[in-house]
Amino acid sequence: MTAVATRPASPGRVRRRRNIPKVVWVFLAVPAVVELAMVFWPALNSFYLSFTEWNGLGAAKPVGLDNFKELASDEVFRGALQNNVIWAIGFGGLSVLGGLALALALNRPRRGVGLYRSAIYLPMVFSLAVTGLFWRVQYQPDGTINTLLGAVGLESLEKQWLADPDTALYAVLVAAVWRQVGYVMVLYLAGLKGTDPLLDDASAVDGATAWQRFRFVTWPQLRGVNTVVFAVTVIDSLRTFDIVWAMTHGGPYHSSELLSTYMFQQGFTFLNLGYASAIAVVIFALALIFIITYLVRATKEEAV
Amino acid sequence: MISAPLSRRGFLAGLGGVGVAGLLGACATGSDEGSAAASTTLTLQSSLSDPDPKAALTKVVEGYTKNKTTLNTIAIETFRAQLPTYLNSGNPPDVLTWYAGSVARDYSSKGFLLDVSDLWTGDGPCAKFSPALKELSTAEGKQIFVPTNYYWWGVFYRKSAFQEWGVQVPKTWDEFIAVCKTLKGKGVAPISMGTGSTPWVAAAWFDYLNLRINGAEFHRELLAGQHSFDGAEVKTVMDHYRQLVEYIDPKGRSYSFQDAITPLVSKKAGMYLIGAFATSAVPADALDDLDFFRVPIIDPNVPVAEEAPTDGYFASAKTRNPQGAKDLLAYLASAPAQQQFIELSKSGNLPTSAEVDTTKFSPLVQKGITMLNESKAITQFFNRDSSDELQTTADTALTKFLDKPGDVNKILAEWQASAKKVLGS
Repeated sequence: MTAVATRPASPGRVRRRRNIPKVVWVFLAVPAVVELAMVFWPALNSFYLSFTEWNGLGAAKPVGLDNFKELASDEVFRGALQNNVIWAIGFGGLSVLGGLALALALNRPRRGVGLYRSAIYLPMVFSLAVTGLFWRVQYQPDGTINTLLGAVGLESLEKQWLADPDTALYAVLVAAVWRQVGYVMVLYLAGLKGTDPLLDDASAVDGATAWQRFRFVTWPQLRGVNTVVFAVTVIDSLRTFDIVWAMTHGGPYHSSELLSTYMFQQGFTFLNLGYASAIAVVIFALALIFIITYLVRATKEEAV
Repeated sequence: MISAPLSRRGFLAGLGGVGVAGLLGACATGSDEGSAAASTTLTLQSSLSDPDPKAALTKVVEGYTKNKTTLNTIAIETFRAQLPTYLNSGNPPDVLTWYAGSVARDYSSKGFLLDVSDLWTGDGPCAKFSPALKELSTAEGKQIFVPTNYYWWGVFYRKSAFQEWGVQVPKTWDEFIAVCKTLKGKGVAPISMGTGSTPWVAAAWFDYLNLRINGAEFHRELLAGQHSFDGAEVKTVMDHYRQLVEYIDPKGRSYSFQDAITPLVSKKAGMYLIGAFATSAVPADALDDLDFFRVPIIDPNVPVAEEAPTDGYFASAKTRNPQGAKDLLAYLASAPAQQQFIELSKSGNLPTSAEVDTTKFSPLVQKGITMLNESKAITQFFNRDSSDELQTTADTALTKFLDKPGDVNKILAEWQASAKKVLGS
């Protein structure tokens, strides 16, 4: 609006800006103030706190970069960082691959397809905490998964999925992907609706294989959706907290700890608010790096 | 992308249920929004989330009519993790359930707890409590806690199961290991222990082995940071713990402490070192069959010590209505309220008030009282004798140890390092 209004060659439009009723500015100001107070102010506070030592009472003691130096030598933090990388790749990769495959499979109208789509989307309506509780029951020593493995003669694979440090993180990952995959599928289904079926038909007539049609005809048309899916997935994987908290609390002995759960424990269980803020800053920086790199690449591609 | 911190804070707020006031309080340093309006409704934040104790406290609170009181029950493990946040929020609950001893002193030293010394003097409801209880509720010369009941720990078992398996109650460590061996030979898991979502249970055996080998005084000093967790004394304790590892039900790693009672009741597991609160999770028809014995003596020269954790209430230093909070505490500490709570909660807890008639309590509870009276020293529990934060270092070390007992020296060194961090801060 301002870009239009500042164009000097159109005095009529300038007058229109003057005519904007004052109440509109009030309506704009209210959300702006709320945004500033509830988002930017706390976020800035986090940055400030990360350079202090504070237990929530009294004055925060500035300690410079000590929190970050401590983070560098904190093995739990390094484990959590590593887990976060595994999580981002596993969660992002599996839910995108799964979601895309399901979208392609369920794109064409045929009988019962709506039922399948709804069924796959259904887990998305559960909160992550409920998903966590549901899967925790499946993973119990005498739960569904071990019972099924036993029934098909694979007793040797039976495990205490959530209590074994080698499997805990992946067990939670499966539960999270199970929920996310329907969401990604819906995004891709919407994207596929926007592709031109004529192109697909034309290339089929030209003798392109199914893979070639997907790779060279459909995929380029999904670029817009990919940006959305990428952003959603990165943000979701970095902020993952509740499902891990509901299923393992980051245990056994920190083996499924993510940056977010470790931050929560440090901040709200131990009240090391300065240290926890330092972890929050690291999470923020990671998210920013991912998103900026991607946006730069995406805009470059569009420019070409 | 600036929205990432918002969503994070957003769901934290939902989880903690601390509301916007608390959230802002946690964001800006030194904020202490003193809303002038003295609220008349009192909030009692309770961690008693098991069905019977929850119902019992609900009834007890219903009997309190002087101030309007809201009972807010939170699942215990959430409560444990969130307690510092509750106390630290801008508008904290007025009265909270928790534990006496070092853990309450730890919160008091941070300035979180209301001074309730006047309840302990003159005609105050706690004035006639034993000096030991008073000492337990005192921090920096003032009383900050109101104890209302306590309980004992023991190795619980089913009498009929021991008969079926042909084993006797063990008195010594060697007898105990022999019983474990026999049970394992019969395909029964000798020891049940739920260390999945409640890893702190693993500290029970640690506490008791330390009490039996090194004694109560060393145990208290260890938890206060005066000895090292990778010293020779603790290594001896872990040598004994290691003998138990092969007898502990491996499925317990996925169970909570409540889940681990089920194998005991269904005779798939033989014994369970747990607090008397566990009896409220035992079905009524198995309750008469349930018995317990003292953790076997290892070194007869060490004075016998038992864990007798004391529960009760403290009030928030930032309560808007200190007078009302104290009045509610006085009511909860009164003999009729104690009696009503203990009877309804079916937990086998013992009253702190001498005016409660204990003669009608079940034989199991009588046995518990006798055992505690025969003990030379009383401790609380790992977290209560230290802090909730030190407990998490024990959780990590001990659950790791249960998985990899061979790495004990490395685990103890890590434990000492993280304990030092906690105690140093």
